[in-house]
Amino acid sequence: MANIKQSKVYDAVVIGSGVSGSFLALELVKSGMEVLLLEAGEFFSRSNFPQKEIDANSKLYWGGGIEFNTDANIALLRPKVVGGGSIVNQALLDRFDDDALSSWKSQSGVSFFESGKLDKYYAAAEAELNIETIPEKYRNENGKIFAEGFKANGYQYAPLTRAQKNCRFEEGNDCIECLSGCRADSKQSMLITTLKAALGKGLHIKSLFEVGKIENNGEEVKIHGLYLKKYRETFKARKLILAAGAIGNTKLLLSSGFKKKLPALGRNFFTHPQFMVLALFNREISAHKGPFQSLKSADPNFRKKGFKLENVFGPPVAISMLLQGFGSEHMRFMKRLSQMACIEVAIRDTNPGIISLDKKGKVRIDKKLNDEDRKRKAAGVEAIQNIFSSQGAEEVFEGRLPIGLHLMGGLGIGENSETSVVNPEFQIHCQRNIFVADSSIFPNAPGINPSLTIMALSIKAAQEILRG
Amino acid sequence: MATKYLNDRQLSGLKKLGDIILPGDSELPAFSKTGFELHVDRICKYMNQDDLEGIELLLSIFSWLPSLAIRILLKIAQKPRGEGSLAALFRQLDIGLKGIIFTLYYSNLETANEKAKNIHSVIGWDSQIASYPEEDEMFEKTDQFRLQGQMGDSSEAVMSRAVLSQPAVRELTVKRRLHYIKNLRRYILRNREKITDLIQKEAQKTKTDILVSEIFGVLDHLAFLEKFSERILKDEKVHTPVALLGKKSRIYYEPLGTVLIISPWNYPFYQAIVPITSAFVTGNTVVYKPSEITPLEGLLEEIFTACGFEKEWVQVCYGDGKVGAELIDLRPEKIFFTGSVATGKKIMTQAAKQLIPVELELGGKDPAIVFEDASLERAVRGCLWGALTNSGQSCTSVEQVFIQESIFLEFKKMLLKEVKKIRQSNCDNGAVEIGHMTSPMQIKIVADHLEDALAKGANLLHGDSWDRKSAAIPPLVLDNITEEMKIYRDETFGPIIPLISFISEREVVDRCNRSQFGLSASVWSKDLKRCDRVARSLITGNVSINNVMLTEGNPALPFGGVKNSGIGRYKGAAGLHGFCNQKSILIDGHSEKCEVNWYPYTQKKYSGFDKMMEALFSPGILNFIKFALIGMKLESYSDKAAKKKKVPTP
Repeated sequence: MANIKQSKVYDAVVIGSGVSGSFLALELVKSGMEVLLLEAGEFFSRSNFPQKEIDANSKLYWGGGIEFNTDANIALLRPKVVGGGSIVNQALLDRFDDDALSSWKSQSGVSFFESGKLDKYYAAAEAELNIETIPEKYRNENGKIFAEGFKANGYQYAPLTRAQKNCRFEEGNDCIECLSGCRADSKQSMLITTLKAALGKGLHIKSLFEVGKIENNGEEVKIHGLYLKKYRETFKARKLILAAGAIGNTKLLLSSGFKKKLPALGRNFFTHPQFMVLALFNREISAHKGPFQSLKSADPNFRKKGFKLENVFGPPVAISMLLQGFGSEHMRFMKRLSQMACIEVAIRDTNPGIISLDKKGKVRIDKKLNDEDRKRKAAGVEAIQNIFSSQGAEEVFEGRLPIGLHLMGGLGIGENSETSVVNPEFQIHCQRNIFVADSSIFPNAPGINPSLTIMALSIKAAQEILRG
Repeated sequence: MATKYLNDRQLSGLKKLGDIILPGDSELPAFSKTGFELHVDRICKYMNQDDLEGIELLLSIFSWLPSLAIRILLKIAQKPRGEGSLAALFRQLDIGLKGIIFTLYYSNLETANEKAKNIHSVIGWDSQIASYPEEDEMFEKTDQFRLQGQMGDSSEAVMSRAVLSQPAVRELTVKRRLHYIKNLRRYILRNREKITDLIQKEAQKTKTDILVSEIFGVLDHLAFLEKFSERILKDEKVHTPVALLGKKSRIYYEPLGTVLIISPWNYPFYQAIVPITSAFVTGNTVVYKPSEITPLEGLLEEIFTACGFEKEWVQVCYGDGKVGAELIDLRPEKIFFTGSVATGKKIMTQAAKQLIPVELELGGKDPAIVFEDASLERAVRGCLWGALTNSGQSCTSVEQVFIQESIFLEFKKMLLKEVKKIRQSNCDNGAVEIGHMTSPMQIKIVADHLEDALAKGANLLHGDSWDRKSAAIPPLVLDNITEEMKIYRDETFGPIIPLISFISEREVVDRCNRSQFGLSASVWSKDLKRCDRVARSLITGNVSINNVMLTEGNPALPFGGVKNSGIGRYKGAAGLHGFCNQKSILIDGHSEKCEVNWYPYTQKKYSGFDKMMEALFSPGILNFIKFALIGMKLESYSDKAAKKKKVPTP
């Protein structure tokens, strides 16, 4: 890693070190390619993850913690750190169901979106990580309310499946800190799995390098960017892999002038908007203790209605931002933090957003919820109301703002170059040496946690790259 | 107390806003009492520039806005209706302002306020990671990144590594350091072809130029170091005057610490290795910044590593002037700069603020002075090479040829005949005289000087085929030069040969000495006395007699300029001493006695001292004996007076 050179032509440069970028990088270095991974964020590990919320928000996300759509009614959380989303997410892994795959197939025309056809890639991805379901005995009060409330209302639920190892709940670990990097190295982030393996096989990583523009002559791609926000540097690659997510990839291609060749670029942007619903109880809940997330809805009815529920919580700054009001009223609420329960509803949003650039070249995200989306949310909130009431909540209130943290689309995959950006071989239409397999290629919102599918698609894409 | 991002007014606005949002109660502190000022930059640093500017403006307004108005604004902002851009603005305002306040308040930041320390326990937050593994397998990697990748190229990291590792270099004896220099010489000799190719690729010059000036020059310098630096750097005994009888005086040549070397693009290899090794042999660690035009990326690291240097001893920082400025701010013990006058001035200005010593090797407008009795053919060929080697991109290139009037026409004719034989290419096998220009910026300057000269009446005798844009600039021979022309006054740094006639020795010396520069010159004449006379009267750092650009050819001769050509000398003994702290040492043997000039002062001592001084500085052996006697008497008196318990009061 000491010899990252601008003069060299790399076999492949990967932009973005998150789930997709790290899986792809690992597959490529395994086959002997010389790969450079570029990441705009910083490199942290167990010993130096930012522990205070003030630093976690600013150092691990774009925009100093939070970004918005143009209406500023959806808060977008976009990770910026070596390891990407896997550093700040909950490592929840689910395979897609038939519903998600068939809706992708019908929208994209891509034949491998079919039950069974991705199984071997799912299995290969799962083999890289240690996956556990969260055992019932560590379930905290918030989890118990979730389970009991589901039972009382006849809803079906299931334990969450998570990439984790030796979380030591019995020794009193509270996993909520994992949201700013797991200090116990228990969460199976890309850092301690794929990236570690890839570094061992000679992957070069350059962090704090923000790519601004690419130039492609078909043989060689030039990647221009800024190192440490100041120094202009250019790297060269025979193959380029975009793994900077929906917004990152779209912004880069738009800034590089690809919109004319790719009319669908920036379209079909989805976020699985999550609405946090809080409930006050007149007893201690301490929703942050132990595994703060343990259960999800598994109700076919919910799936049909386009939403899912999970028990969840956030650290103090995050919760304070969800509360309405200010002054002494706000402070009275905050003092009851440990008496709050929380369930989120994530909807499978149906109204596609658009990512574009404004005159200054800054990202602009037009994303609205339509009536159907609002209906989905309302159905979810109603279910949560039922759950909390059945468990004796004093008061139930919605968080102030939905959060979008599954950022998907913009470079949709498909057969047709008018309506999609990436072809079924994971190449950008007409740019056969640029590949993409991250969430930006999602044709629509699957309504299921996307991580595992990104991994599976990235492994499949690596095979395509190596074949070509 | 203003912070890096917020001024006093903005902080007072933030305080006012914070106390509205979080007024505090019996258990929780008011926002303003949390010591937030210390932490606010932790947020500001990572905000988008636009957002930060918006927040700054708003906070300034809040500082004078009545609390009630802010309260109303917050009420409106938290529930705006609709999806219009105003509503969006309000929402962002609400989230942005509360985000800053809540983040500072609920992040459990370090503070002296007891109440503020307890915020987490009052709100019932006790999340913990009670148990985690000891080892952090990735830390080493992230740390490595900090060293090599992510922070590794940051100026701070480079400079701190250089500073931290300097004691290790200091501990090495000169002999030991020379062991690395020997490795270096052998390595460069073995790999000269590869190095030459790389230089040619970046600098566009001819193979022979590279071999002669860069490779040979470097090897010659290294051989000089190997042979002489122990002698030059060993402790030096110096005379101790008789008044300090019985004592010894020494000069120790010690390292300065960490030296920053900034080099130009014209000799990217020579200008790297020569100053770096000079600084290293004297025990310094080096941070080296090559020109962004000819970085020879990775070459020096490869060479120094292969020769056994620890990577902290010589580090390379790539980038433009910004990088150089950053490194200077980190306060190296010395800056060694080779390059243009303009940049030299900038560097010295910046260095002056921190009182960092600088050595500047800047440009020149070096004359060749050809007298009528010179060997004409030799002078013509010498001037031709001196003006055209490296396409004139040398600080000591011949940029003016002064020819005595009586031989002017003959000289011109012969030079034009020779110049036609010059072949040009940037990818030769050795059989080509001049290469291409290295820097596009310099091409523009050459074109500008040429056009200026032509506009003011100069004749272009050779080189008219040049399109004023191509990097393949042919030799440009001109006459009819006047003093108003840029080509006469300013450094051109290209393959130019302006021919100027003069009548007398006095005249030509005066004209040369009026130049803003004073780097080097060449004097051509059979009359060596005249040559010496002219060499002495020229105000320059170097003069070659009946030769050209040759003082640089001897690594034992110091090199440097006067006037705008620079400050300081490098190469030779003076060059090595330039990278040293020349420490003066005075040694007195162990003695119980007190010195004459120490307290107490007495009248007797005063008059004794006065007489002794008179004897010392007056001529004659008798005076010397007198001095010795008074001295001895005074010494014994002083010692007694000092040790007497009671001193007589005046």
